Amino acid sequence: MNYASSIKTAGLVALPPWRSRVLFGVLLLCLFGLTVRAVYLQGIHNDFLQQKGDARYSRVVDINAHRGMITDRHGDPLAVSTPVESIWVSPQDVEATPQQVKQLAQILGMSSAEVKKRLFDTTRDFTYLKRQLPPEQAEKIVRLGVPGISLHREYRRYYPSAEVAAHLLGFTDVDDNGQEGIELALQEQLGGRSGSQRVIKDRRGHIVEDVASVRAPKPGSDLALSVDSKIQYLAYREIKLAVEQHRAKAGSIVVLDAKSGEVLALANWPSYNPNNRAKPDTRVMRNRAVTDLFEPGSTMKPFTVAAALEAGKVTPRTVINTEGGVLTIGGRKIHDTHPEPFLDVAGVIQKSSNVGAAKIALSLPPQTFWRSLSETGFGAQTGSAFPGEAAGRLRDYKKWLPIEQATMSYGNGISVNLLQLARAYTAFANDGELKGVTLLKQDVPVVGKKIYSEATARAVRDMLEMVVQPGGTAPLAQISGFRVAGKTGTAHKLEGRRYVNRYIASFVGLAPASNPRLIVAVMVDEPAGAEYYGGQVAAPVFSNVMGSALRLLNVPHDAPLDNVLMPPADIIKEEA
Amino acid sequence: MRTASLNPSRPALPEYDEMLVWIVLSLLAIGMVMVYSASIATAEESKFTGFRSTYYLVRHSVFIFVGIAAAMAAFQVPVQTWQKLAPYLFILGVVLLILVLIPGVGRAVNGSRRWLSLFVINLQPSELMKLFAVVYAADYTVRKGIVKHTFRKAFLPMFAVMVLVGMLLLLEPDMGAFVVICAIAMCTLWLGGFNLKVFGALVFALPLAFAALIFSSPYRMQRVIGFMDPWSDPYGKGYQLSHALIAFGRGEWLGVGLGASVEKLFYLPEAHTDFLLAVIAEELGFVGVCAVIVLFAGLLIRAFAIGRQAAFLDRQFAALIAQGIAVWLGVQAMINIGVNMGVLPTKGLTLPFLSFGGSGVVVNCVAAAILLRIDWENRRMMRGQPI
Repeated sequence: MNYASSIKTAGLVALPPWRSRVLFGVLLLCLFGLTVRAVYLQGIHNDFLQQKGDARYSRVVDINAHRGMITDRHGDPLAVSTPVESIWVSPQDVEATPQQVKQLAQILGMSSAEVKKRLFDTTRDFTYLKRQLPPEQAEKIVRLGVPGISLHREYRRYYPSAEVAAHLLGFTDVDDNGQEGIELALQEQLGGRSGSQRVIKDRRGHIVEDVASVRAPKPGSDLALSVDSKIQYLAYREIKLAVEQHRAKAGSIVVLDAKSGEVLALANWPSYNPNNRAKPDTRVMRNRAVTDLFEPGSTMKPFTVAAALEAGKVTPRTVINTEGGVLTIGGRKIHDTHPEPFLDVAGVIQKSSNVGAAKIALSLPPQTFWRSLSETGFGAQTGSAFPGEAAGRLRDYKKWLPIEQATMSYGNGISVNLLQLARAYTAFANDGELKGVTLLKQDVPVVGKKIYSEATARAVRDMLEMVVQPGGTAPLAQISGFRVAGKTGTAHKLEGRRYVNRYIASFVGLAPASNPRLIVAVMVDEPAGAEYYGGQVAAPVFSNVMGSALRLLNVPHDAPLDNVLMPPADIIKEEA
Repeated sequence: MRTASLNPSRPALPEYDEMLVWIVLSLLAIGMVMVYSASIATAEESKFTGFRSTYYLVRHSVFIFVGIAAAMAAFQVPVQTWQKLAPYLFILGVVLLILVLIPGVGRAVNGSRRWLSLFVINLQPSELMKLFAVVYAADYTVRKGIVKHTFRKAFLPMFAVMVLVGMLLLLEPDMGAFVVICAIAMCTLWLGGFNLKVFGALVFALPLAFAALIFSSPYRMQRVIGFMDPWSDPYGKGYQLSHALIAFGRGEWLGVGLGASVEKLFYLPEAHTDFLLAVIAEELGFVGVCAVIVLFAGLLIRAFAIGRQAAFLDRQFAALIAQGIAVWLGVQAMINIGVNMGVLPTKGLTLPFLSFGGSGVVVNCVAAAILLRIDWENRRMMRGQPI
């Protein structure tokens, strides 16, 4: 084999130079063509291409605004937002070893299977692995360095008072929007406005570049509520205790500043912890003091008397024939628990006589009685702006039957919420001036609406003082060192259209009676024990809360410390 | 005979083609910088690279170093030696192409069986085969010079050999190398004075054959459809191309600046290999793209000049090799640039001298060395010096 030698023998014919030139020309022409293409792509068609590029990796991201803090009237925090991190995943980009999956599951407290499912759900571009982790925990996840996992700053709401003010404050959802209570009512002020920013993201979702701030986030404003957290705690503790002690279904309590109508406390039991993401059913979440209506029973009687005093139909000394405790109107009978042949108007209040109240009411034209009740705020919302507030029912006087006008005098056939009822008592506390209620702290004196003359208001207040005296229905409402004025209620509950032998025990009172500072309204739904009268169930709650609150506020005594006088136990019974 | 070089009044002709050296070194330098820039983000985030941002830079630098060393060695080899070795190199190339197909010997990446694992490095036989094809086609054309006008004797054996190589490449599959080798063979035949009518028929028939190949494989078909209209399915078939085009559009005239590409941040696959030009286009703009094209044009100008000089000196083999190398590097560069710009279907071809890839860079350097050697021999012959 002699290959190399054969090379020399091959015919060496000159290569045609024109072919080389043609090939060279074609190649250079192609390069020129590509240059033209580059000019087109980079100089002419570039807007379209950049737009396509922006669609791929230019994103507008939300910057969450910090939600305003809710404080009590002294600045103590009731709802605070703290920064947390949400872990989100771009499943397309995730690369995680089984060991990393296990570590993630461990840090997050989830099952490995669940973590795996979310990490590798390639049908989605974006999914949360877990929301609102404490920063330390998020830090651990970042340190694992798993591609495709990113953090998103959010704020989480904390309620330091937990169950105590749950109904009042409400709560926010996971996206920081108010869902209930103050959080919902004042969402506008609290929520602020989330900002947005245009950024460029790499394929794994990391922000590479902040292009422009489209809108700066505007933090929400802080709100100072009218609530006093110490009184709130007191109120909550006492109502909870009373409901448990009397095995009742539920209970509510409202404490108002008598001078300004500011809500100092508002609590219900059963309650719940708003810090838990899992929420109980609406039965527990309802702010009963505002959203639930009930027939007030005898706590209405002072308004009946006030209307008659205003109309000049009676004076406190006017004697009413209480017919031995039974009155028949239109075939229906009205009973008294403590039958008396005669009682003066003050006695009607003190002994809580249904017959007496009915007779006083019937002495008034329906329109006069209706207007007086309507002016006191019954049948209309209080203006607290609390979400879901019920207006209550005050029927049109033109359709009243005499028996209806009679029973309304002692709080049957009319429905109210507890806040409304408490507010109505501001008229007695302020010499006839009805104050609006508010949940926000007021810095200037509140001007109310004059609905009774000073004389009427004082007269009723004097009568209410007798209620807590021995011989009245609520001696248990007495407070050492303070004069107390108030009224009990023990209303049969309506079931369908019939009254049944289940009760709502209530007490509304003001103190110190000489110059009222606070109003406390207590309502206990269906006490199941042996005691169910307002004077037995609600009055002690009133006494404890009012007494402690007055001492907290350093209100000067208007009575000697040994003013509490206890009568024989059976005196405090009443019905309606 | 020739007295120019003996004339003392004229400045001495340099010993080698300095311009060509500078062109190649410029391409290598741009490649090194851009490979680093294009790979930095993916290298940093990948477990495969051990999260080292310089993973590809270090390797590419080593390849360039080895490539320059190999080029210096190749420069020492006389052109005649290449001619003597031509058939054996070609057989070696075929053997390597067969080896790469054997499971266990060849290594598959992304469904293509293109690499041979040799201890520490992975060899890509198809890159070697391009060089061997240039040498073999030149040798064949020169040897068959006498019978170049007879179809059966001159063309059929060459055709048979090319069909064999083509089949081996398509089995990998490596469509890009197949196209480049076909172009080399065709152009060498053309330059060798092959019968115009037969050549005309071939020019007509080959595109049909390509079309048949494309339509016979769903994998190739898919790539073609993606290239025709990348915006009809920009997240599927047109994904890669649409991102390459976006990179061009973002670059505008002057680019977004070195290192500032967004497309390289996991959007554009193969940013440091096949789609390096897209990153150049985004970061350095039209100016960068134009510089690359001008450098390749310069390479073509020098290679053809050297080839024609060799032909003028009656060194047909050297002339065909020089122009064969020009066709190889030129066509491969054009296809890669064309793919990046969306005028050709995605092929899997790298940009010579620039893209990341050991076998490619080393073989390209050797090709450049052969060009320089031919030129060096041309100059010596013109001076009447022994080779």
